Amino acid sequence: MSSTRSAIAEPDFSSKKKTSGIQIVIYVFLVLISITYILPLLWVFNVSFKTNKEIFTSPFSLPENITFDNFSFAWTAGRLGTATLNSFIVCAVALILSMLIGSMAAFGIARLRWKGAKLAMTYFLTGMMIPIHCVLIPLFTRFAKIGLSNSLLGIIIPYVTFSLPITIFIMTGFFKGMPNELIECACIEGANIFQIFMKICLPLGKTGLCVTGLMTFIGNWNELLLAMVFISDDAKKTLPVALSKFVGPYNTNYSQMFAAIIIAIIPTIVVYCLFSNQIVDGLTAGAVKG
Amino acid sequence: MDKMLRNKKAIILFMLPAFLLFTLVLFIPIVQSVYYSFCDYKGITEPVYVGLKNYKTLLSDKTFGIALKNSMFFLIFSCVSQLIVGLIFAALLTNIKKGRNAFKNIIYLPCVLSSAALGLMWMFIFSPKLGINQLLEKCGVEEAPLWLMDTKGYIILPMWVIAFVSLWQYVGQSMMLYMAQISGISKSLMEASYIDGCTKAQTFRYITLPLIKPMVATAMSLNAIGSLKFFDLIFNMTEGGPNHKTEVLATHLYQQGFKYFKYGYASAIGVVLLILCLLVTLFINKVVKTEQYEM
Repeated sequence: MSSTRSAIAEPDFSSKKKTSGIQIVIYVFLVLISITYILPLLWVFNVSFKTNKEIFTSPFSLPENITFDNFSFAWTAGRLGTATLNSFIVCAVALILSMLIGSMAAFGIARLRWKGAKLAMTYFLTGMMIPIHCVLIPLFTRFAKIGLSNSLLGIIIPYVTFSLPITIFIMTGFFKGMPNELIECACIEGANIFQIFMKICLPLGKTGLCVTGLMTFIGNWNELLLAMVFISDDAKKTLPVALSKFVGPYNTNYSQMFAAIIIAIIPTIVVYCLFSNQIVDGLTAGAVKG
Repeated sequence: MDKMLRNKKAIILFMLPAFLLFTLVLFIPIVQSVYYSFCDYKGITEPVYVGLKNYKTLLSDKTFGIALKNSMFFLIFSCVSQLIVGLIFAALLTNIKKGRNAFKNIIYLPCVLSSAALGLMWMFIFSPKLGINQLLEKCGVEEAPLWLMDTKGYIILPMWVIAFVSLWQYVGQSMMLYMAQISGISKSLMEASYIDGCTKAQTFRYITLPLIKPMVATAMSLNAIGSLKFFDLIFNMTEGGPNHKTEVLATHLYQQGFKYFKYGYASAIGVVLLILCLLVTLFINKVVKTEQYEM
């Protein structure tokens, strides 16, 4: 359509046509790439409605009759329902705590006047380079001794800690960028330091809080290793752990396992579809700064 | 105001929770981990100092050799492939007008999905009787490859498969980083190069590429650390098998530490991992991060 219109309107259409040719190639390429992204997910979605027999007899056709039996079985027998709830509790608590503690420390580094501020910043930043695997064993033995293993609190604490470096780093940037006059003004009005933090700095740093919150939440929601090591009680497992346990080489009912995978990723996909632009931009902003 | 901001009590109150958590949950365990790596520690008994024994065992441990090789392969593969593919995607996406957002969001989607779930998904797609092999069978291919169980070659087929899956999953992040940097380049620079008679390709080579170099360092160090920490996908796709051939450092650590309860030995692996992470970050920041241009 557009090429015919440009052919009529523009006398010099040869160059236009050439660029649009390249554009078409780019579009075809991008569509192919997108297919590799969407097709596997669609295939799993499709298969999850089939019976185990159908998977092998007619793998690529649409399911004969749609039943939700696979889903309900995975939801109850795989304990994915409890796991989703656990994941949500863990991630929400870790999110709130890490945002609060992290922005408090960031405020201390960026705004309060003391000699060790720079040193404290370096101290927190080294945490970004440390992989969680290295502290797994000492943390596990310590937590087992004080009774924190096999409890949700026992994974919330490390999650909060490992979210702190990035939170502190990003929030320090935000707090440093705020004009001094604002704080002076509040000071003259008689606000104390906590009011300044809660009522002025935190609301103004909302963008930063959203970015760090997003990174923290998604990271913790998908975390597998630590949760797998620390929690052995079925009723306390988080979503990735419960899924990995339910779907394994010893299970032979494929369609139920596919249903479990779909259950595990559908909440993220729905949220992503609703807020995709904000999520992508927020995570990228966080990664650029980190 | 100055007095208020210098108030010692307030400073302590603001810094203490983060400082305590950080020290107790991160730094003391790191020190402990280094200490354990010099100990014979099997979980039930108390750790006993044995010097370099664990590290000597590491050198003769065949699985550790494989794990190190595979981790290095991942490191190099993900740094190079993410750089190239991420740049290509970013360049293509910045050159189209309609639908940029849609493509961007589709390619970024796996980055936010749980790699545990995606690993299981790909495990089924590459399993001997399902997914790709069913497709190949329909196309009449006999003896379809055993994607995740082949053991021939120096870098075996399953490693390539997993490496490509991880590229598929995480390339969106590199792409977005490069796109953010490209869209930050001022239009006048581009126009100037077109006026001087550059083609699009030349503009990309001589204007865009040098200007996104700082971002290459950021994206690369993210990729490098990510690939060293790599665990979820492998654990759910092959669990280190067949015969420990697809083990990486993280899965080896998990196996030794939490399947065989060799805490001391696993700590030694953790220390190696930590040192690698620090070295790689230093190296990338030294080599890639050169000069910053005014944009």
